[in-house]
Amino acid sequence: MKKWLQQDSWRHLVGISISLFSLFPLYLVVISSFSSSGSLQLTSFIPKEISFKNYQLLFNNPAIPYLTWAKNSLVIAGSVAVLSVIIGSASAFAFSRLAFKGRKTGIQLLLLVQMFPAILAISAVYVIMERVYKFAPEIGLGTQPGLLLVYLGGAMGVNIWLLKGFVDSIPAELDEAAKIDGASEVQTFWLIFVPLASPVLAVVALLSFIGTFNEFILARLFLVDMENRTIAVGLQQFIGGQYSQNWGPFAAGSILASIPIVIIFLSLQKYIVSGLTAGSVKG
Amino acid sequence: MMYFMRGKVALAFKIVLLSLISAILLMLTQSAFAQREYVIAAFLGLTVFVLAITYFTKISIPLKFFIPGILLLTAFVIGPILYTVTMSGFNYKTGNIISKEEAILLIEARGIEADPAGISFDIKLGISDGTEAILVSDIANLKYFISTTNSRVGIDPRDVTLNEFGVAINAPNFRALTDSELAQADTLFSKKRFVYEGDYFIALEGFEAGVVSRQVLEYVPSTDQFKNLVNGSMYSDNGRGNYSLPNDAMAILEPGWRAPIWFENYSKIFTDPRVREPLVRVFIWTVVFATATVLTTFALGLLLALALNKPIRGRRIYRSILVLPYAMPSVMSILIWGGMFNTEFGAINTLFGSEIAWFSDPNFARLAVILVNLWLGFPYFYLISSGSLQAIPSELLEAAAIDGANPRQIFRKITLPLLLQILSPLLIASFAFNFNNFNLIFLLTGGGPRNELDGEIAGATDILISYTYKIAFGSSTQDLGLASAISLIIFILVAAISLYGLRKSKVLESFS
Repeated sequence: MKKWLQQDSWRHLVGISISLFSLFPLYLVVISSFSSSGSLQLTSFIPKEISFKNYQLLFNNPAIPYLTWAKNSLVIAGSVAVLSVIIGSASAFAFSRLAFKGRKTGIQLLLLVQMFPAILAISAVYVIMERVYKFAPEIGLGTQPGLLLVYLGGAMGVNIWLLKGFVDSIPAELDEAAKIDGASEVQTFWLIFVPLASPVLAVVALLSFIGTFNEFILARLFLVDMENRTIAVGLQQFIGGQYSQNWGPFAAGSILASIPIVIIFLSLQKYIVSGLTAGSVKG
Repeated sequence: MMYFMRGKVALAFKIVLLSLISAILLMLTQSAFAQREYVIAAFLGLTVFVLAITYFTKISIPLKFFIPGILLLTAFVIGPILYTVTMSGFNYKTGNIISKEEAILLIEARGIEADPAGISFDIKLGISDGTEAILVSDIANLKYFISTTNSRVGIDPRDVTLNEFGVAINAPNFRALTDSELAQADTLFSKKRFVYEGDYFIALEGFEAGVVSRQVLEYVPSTDQFKNLVNGSMYSDNGRGNYSLPNDAMAILEPGWRAPIWFENYSKIFTDPRVREPLVRVFIWTVVFATATVLTTFALGLLLALALNKPIRGRRIYRSILVLPYAMPSVMSILIWGGMFNTEFGAINTLFGSEIAWFSDPNFARLAVILVNLWLGFPYFYLISSGSLQAIPSELLEAAAIDGANPRQIFRKITLPLLLQILSPLLIASFAFNFNNFNLIFLLTGGGPRNELDGEIAGATDILISYTYKIAFGSSTQDLGLASAISLIIFILVAAISLYGLRKSKVLESFS
């Protein structure tokens, strides 16, 4: 009995100390967001005041278009998620279910392409989109549609790869049955496969959403106008730019933006782990 | 449903959608062509063609599924990769950004000098005989004339209308521009040369003054050289994107153009000490950083997984708290950590009562980077390790215990080796990811601290990718050619690492 207690107590010790390590920065942000001093100082562990000043600032200060940033992030990440899953699942379906010449070469090529870190080609993307801007200012550098297209292309490799892994694990009996009933491949895809795979597609769409939401550097290069920015870029400028060291509103803004992401993440934990095991890694 | 998909509605939908996309693409093709972006125009045109063939013929069914993905991948991944390869063969940097044709025009336009006496006139922009003309007032000599690009006509002072400053504002056979015309006059007038005397012409300086100038540099198309008309020296193409004097390589004409220099960007990496030395330092730190991150995150994650591998009280609560760092948007957590490491106000120094200048000292900055990445990364290995621990057959551990092995021996001899074998592809993938962990470095330290004095742009915590970014965008001289060459070398390294990891996982699959 005593031995068991001993064994469990080291487990709790490890659990508690590492939990404190992971909670500390988060706790600090929460108390900073409710403090009126506007700094990220640790004055005491128990907050002395609860002020909503920072939250009000986000919504009432015209110099901080927080809601516009949030809308931009939602629109861009949402479109990338939906479109990349529709387009990616078609390719994944073909890789997984159709027999054709060059299938193996195709998979190997895809593997190589999805390994290319998008950030390495960033100067090329920049120069290309600068040229596109010259003849089509609506979709070139500095525009949200342009950024969306770049994200969509960049997400394609990883998403097809991830989806292919998931699709391989869905039994093929139903679409084979549909084939016997005389359905064409395109019909099988839309009417049998997509409804059947919709939970998986939703998971990949949400993963893609989180990934795009988190993307920083392309968004920063692309979106120069205050009104065009995404949350990640907007909030970064808060503490780096003209609002130098304005931690209060930054903390409030980060918390509001993180809550939905954290909720999505925690509810998808199981799939995320298996998806990450399938090839892509964060952190 | 089946009926709907087979029916005319679906077909009509397909036709409308494809026509719409094709129409947009054709419009873009045309404007790209008009702007002389031939490669982009060709790609867009080809896209329309491929879409039509794929979706209106029965040439290949798999292609119907692949085409949208392939097109996007080609445009925004493969295209940029190929472009990176191309750029890496060019002398493509600040001062050498434009094409040769544009450079020649600019050198000619800038290759003028003002008259030594510094004569300038008040002028009025207008139209005379249907062409752009200026009405010039030589107030000192009370002379007035109308000058166009090919003629100059003097006017009797009695015929001109003067304003209160004595500047002619109207004259016979001359119509001054209205204010609304002036607004658009810039492109029409600013580059024109209006006749004065001999070699000298009048160049506009704004809309109300003209400076007497003459051409100094003249392009000689037959020999592809620039001639200095004043002293007769000849500038030739030096093969590296500039016109220079044959006996003085440093005397170059600005601007230059992007010229092919083939493998010079690559050879520079290995031979030019100014490029090689910072790069080697950055490379070593990149490897140290990625290795340290993988080791620390894995060790902490594994420790947690082992500790929580038993259904102890509150395990679910621990689990939800422990994945929080992983669930938070990383951009925000990195920025928060950046604030916590602030020397004066930061929570870290307050907590430990220290006064460390974290981001000013190279070693403390490196420690901070690894510590923050530990926080960001350990939940991943915790989740993965807990999953893998379940996969280790319990018979194995029981057998070892029966044979008299103590828990530590069981862990070292059985659990850890098996776990490492299962997780090695993921450890390698994590290494490859952190090798290019741009966001962390960029947002936390910006690559710093760096020595401002020697003008070196590489900082103590710069990893290869953040250093490359600085070369391409971050400093006063942007060298896209060199940055592209380094990018490709990084890609080869990372691809090799990833493929190695993948082969390991393949080996594993064949055993299980």
